[in-house]
Amino acid sequence: MKMLVPCKRVPDPDQKLRLNAEAVGIDSNALTYILNPFDAIAVEEALHIRETAHPDAEVIAVSIAPAEGEADLRTALAMGADRALLIEHNGPTDPWNVARLLAAVIEHEQPTLVLMGKQAVDDDANQTGQFLAAQLGWPQATFASQIEFIDDGLRVHRETDLGIEVIRTTLPAIVTADLRLNEPRYASLPSILRAKKKSIEQTTPAELGVQLEPRVRLIGMELINSQRHCEKVETASNLLAKLRETEVVE
Amino acid sequence: MSENKSDIIIIGGGVAGLSTAMQLAKRGASVTVLEREQIGNGSTGRAAGLLGQLRGTAEHTRMLMDGVEIVKELEAQANVEIYVQTGSVRVAETPERAQELTDLIEMGRSINFDINEIPIDELAERMPYMRTDDLTTACWCPTDGHLQPAELASAYHKVGRDHGVRYETNCPVTGVLLDGKKAHGVQTPKGEFHAPILVNAAGPWSHLVAGLTNTTLPTAALGHVYLTTQPHPDHPVDRLSPGFRNRHHRIYGRPENGGLLVGMYGEDCPEFDMNKLPPDFDMSAMKARRDDLHLAMLIHAAQQRFPWLNERTPMHVTTGIMTFTPDGLPFCGQLPDHEGLFYCTGFSGHGIVQSPAIGVIMSELILDGQSSYDIASIEADRYWEVPGFQDRAEIQQRCYKMQGSYYGRVEGKTAGTQTDAKEASA
Repeated sequence: MKMLVPCKRVPDPDQKLRLNAEAVGIDSNALTYILNPFDAIAVEEALHIRETAHPDAEVIAVSIAPAEGEADLRTALAMGADRALLIEHNGPTDPWNVARLLAAVIEHEQPTLVLMGKQAVDDDANQTGQFLAAQLGWPQATFASQIEFIDDGLRVHRETDLGIEVIRTTLPAIVTADLRLNEPRYASLPSILRAKKKSIEQTTPAELGVQLEPRVRLIGMELINSQRHCEKVETASNLLAKLRETEVVE
Repeated sequence: MSENKSDIIIIGGGVAGLSTAMQLAKRGASVTVLEREQIGNGSTGRAAGLLGQLRGTAEHTRMLMDGVEIVKELEAQANVEIYVQTGSVRVAETPERAQELTDLIEMGRSINFDINEIPIDELAERMPYMRTDDLTTACWCPTDGHLQPAELASAYHKVGRDHGVRYETNCPVTGVLLDGKKAHGVQTPKGEFHAPILVNAAGPWSHLVAGLTNTTLPTAALGHVYLTTQPHPDHPVDRLSPGFRNRHHRIYGRPENGGLLVGMYGEDCPEFDMNKLPPDFDMSAMKARRDDLHLAMLIHAAQQRFPWLNERTPMHVTTGIMTFTPDGLPFCGQLPDHEGLFYCTGFSGHGIVQSPAIGVIMSELILDGQSSYDIASIEADRYWEVPGFQDRAEIQQRCYKMQGSYYGRVEGKTAGTQTDAKEASA
């Protein structure tokens, strides 16, 4: 059995971000990148499945990124992934095209299960898993908080706004990981050293036979001003007056 | 501009600057603290706060013991718990380390510091979550513990404010105003601030602040990481469990919220070029990658003493930047090149616990021209014009080496190193 885990390289969302000069993206100067936290959860789940239920399973991490994206695939390898594939691509992507690239990889690798983050913390699009399922004609289980292998398929707990929904799906399938699915491990020292020696397989959109057709154009970005202004008011009526001033209260 | 005039400007709102500001204000000086970001959000906010009062010399121990008394006063004034007296243990598993403990006990007793050898079975009772079967010797210091860094910083801040200290946040110092050799103020994006005395307490940034007056300050910004486990169902850690130091594995730790905090002075550590970090760099946003090599080395070392702990243990990881000096001791006082410019930096991972007494020492140096402590070992000018301490690369290398040897030479198996790891993975 093969499990494919798409891994997105994202700017660490906890750092202070600045816009680039054209205000159509984030200033990449001194930017720190990490493996998308939801994808790290997906990697952990794949490793957990291999360790507990399917010891012969192969976990393949795949990323669409510039050459520097190797670092984040190295993270997945150090956590315990068996193989890593970098689809080298410079420039913007969108969920539809990411799904097309992944579909091409899936056609070649024939995984039984695709485990991926429910969304990436940079654009929060939450579309790639769904697009991928549609393109492949596979069943999907999004926002997974628990995954069990049953008979020939999966039982998945989905986190919805109304509560936990339990669904069954056949395999192959796309499952997207929510926050509470697991707590990803850190890589052990021996595992980091082993991962350093592994080679990362390389391909390109062209080699995969995918002509990117951008469907999303980024027109502009602006930063939200998160500077809070605090002022001490002495009495309740002063507070009320302030609230009226800012039209919070009429 | 008269509103931006004070007796003393402190550059840096970490515990070193805050403690100094508070002590100066208590003695009637008007003090302005300029902080580049938020109060206590640099190294202070990332610190573990372990208090081991027994240091290399009797004078350092006296500073730390007096510091505890200052903290107790602060607790009453600010109405917070800062000092958690858990006692501390040091453990040895080799004859060399055992001898160190014997020497330490002798030294402690010579200055009336409460320290005793503790039988290993008694240690096992105190710390059931720790492996003890390979230990030969352990010592117990009942008056040690840890200081809670955030509470300490906010207490300095509050008591300082009550005594009239002015705090300016988001206010990085971009230039030093000089009249010949004499400093009289600083430039910031919020305008000029004037004072005849400046104190550089800028932690990892302090050598950059020194650079504003073309002064070479031999400090280096080095990364550090520690982990805090979530409470483990089978290995609970009581909040009053002892702090510990295990030099053989280069690790230290203490209880934290039912879990265990463990850090390490590894053989190597990340180096930071503070110049290359973004101007609005926020240390509290630093995080370790899932495959961080230094974290992995820490986990590997911690596992030797706490076998239930591994890379899958639910844990919080804290990474930050320390300010190291070539001998691991801080710089307090003036340098010969300028007048009115004091230094209070380079605490090499021990700023929290040193800060209470350092505030007193700095206020004495500034207001009286001398200190009631023997400060020869921490004087700022001890490397002045000493060959090898004028060049940044050389300074960086010497400080780095100091960090690596912080827990002394480790004989035999080299814990916490990549060599060790390679053996483990072979």
